[in-house]
Amino acid sequence: MVLVSPVNHFPHFFHSRAIQHTCMLLSYLLERKADKEMVIMKLKKLESSMRSGRKLFRLGNMVHAMVAARRTTQLPDLVPRLCLTASNLSRVLYFICDTVLWVKSVGLIPDIDKQKWRNWATKCYYYSLLMNLTRDLYEISWRMEQEAQREKARKENSSHCDEQDQDLFSFHAGGLQPFLLLYHTLRKHPPLLLDTMKNLCDLSSPLDQLGIYKTNPGVIGLCGLLSSLVGILTVASPLMKLKH
Amino acid sequence: MDFWVQFSAQSQAKERVFRAAQYACTLLGYTLQKNGASADFLARIKQLEAHMSLGRKLFRLGNSADALESAKRAIHLSDVVLRFCITVSNLNRAMYFACDNILWAGKSGLLPHMDQEKWSQRSFRYYFFALILNLSRDAYEIRLLMEREACGKRPKGSETRHALRADSSLQHLVLRLKVQLHLLGHVLRSNPPLLVDVVKNACDIFIPLDKLGLYKTNQGFVGLCGLTSSILSILTIVHPWLKLKP
Repeated sequence: MVLVSPVNHFPHFFHSRAIQHTCMLLSYLLERKADKEMVIMKLKKLESSMRSGRKLFRLGNMVHAMVAARRTTQLPDLVPRLCLTASNLSRVLYFICDTVLWVKSVGLIPDIDKQKWRNWATKCYYYSLLMNLTRDLYEISWRMEQEAQREKARKENSSHCDEQDQDLFSFHAGGLQPFLLLYHTLRKHPPLLLDTMKNLCDLSSPLDQLGIYKTNPGVIGLCGLLSSLVGILTVASPLMKLKH
Repeated sequence: MDFWVQFSAQSQAKERVFRAAQYACTLLGYTLQKNGASADFLARIKQLEAHMSLGRKLFRLGNSADALESAKRAIHLSDVVLRFCITVSNLNRAMYFACDNILWAGKSGLLPHMDQEKWSQRSFRYYFFALILNLSRDAYEIRLLMEREACGKRPKGSETRHALRADSSLQHLVLRLKVQLHLLGHVLRSNPPLLVDVVKNACDIFIPLDKLGLYKTNQGFVGLCGLTSSILSILTIVHPWLKLKP
């Protein structure tokens, strides 16, 4: 059972994050119903309690991000090296802003401009997600290229044409072919699919907060829940984690 | 930096750090109050302490199941006394964590009409029983080791006893006490895990003793005991050989 894992405390946090976003989603869905005010109030209290608890336990994570940044400067390929190092440095700045916001929320230093620091924190998080997505797109594109070359070589070398091969690559020509190639590439590399999905889901919250693409708390809750589930999956089954 | 990453990757490590910080706040608050600090600053320290306490309760939401697993594992120990002490101690810990979870639900506003004081007293009672059993287990281990040491020294001991018969009974008693204390010191010095466990449990027991009103001390003393036991706990995480097995 992932919850009782004595090895790593991260599963507890993924559960907290999953519960927090579920509460957000549920309170949005129940908002229209008339007699559910009590339930909505409790959901909001649970969500805020989870959020403040998670903020406390994020306090040391700036060091994690710095160590990760140091590690990614030694990657062999140029594009992942640049993207991941930039992403990790951005995360360091995000955790610094997060620590300042925690100090304010506990009341240690009351005269901190919460809006300004929250804006900076969201921007840093947004840039780190963009860098992660750039790396994901780079990985997808060269794997698609690899896949296309492999299919071309297979078609040229095969003495007889399989009916299905004919259907997939010559009959559905033009617009559909890149999508099919994308589908095959992602199906063959589940860690890459999960990582891309996680980053896309995580993007919904900063996009909303920065006003770039406003959605509603329901969408943010749903995306957050999906991203937490992917996180739990990568911890429960380490094969699903995208390796550098 | 790498040390922090490795340390915080272990279960309960960050929770112990925050426990140490929480009790440091208690101690600091008491010291500052005695030295006449401003009420505003004291309120901030108390708020920080409450925040850390609530955050730790959130983190500990799964610990009841962990304690039950430990109790299940302890049933298979060979020694009867150890089996009893560790199993019942873990069962009490599981009940303590269950009450703690309910307290968290009450403090986060999920159960608004909860009698927080009653559940707090309940949780401290279970914590107290768990610590009593831990100390009993420590006392049993110490006694076993002392007997083993004394058996090894028996030829010398009998000579001392023949010589003592000539002295008065009070001197005899004092000398026997000195020998026992010397033996205890030797046993504890040569078994650091046991020493760490004894000191940790002894410090921890003052917390429920104060909260249940059995032996009221002051917030400063409670804070100091909590801080010491948290630091020792962090030491056992950093140096796993210091953890008392089983």
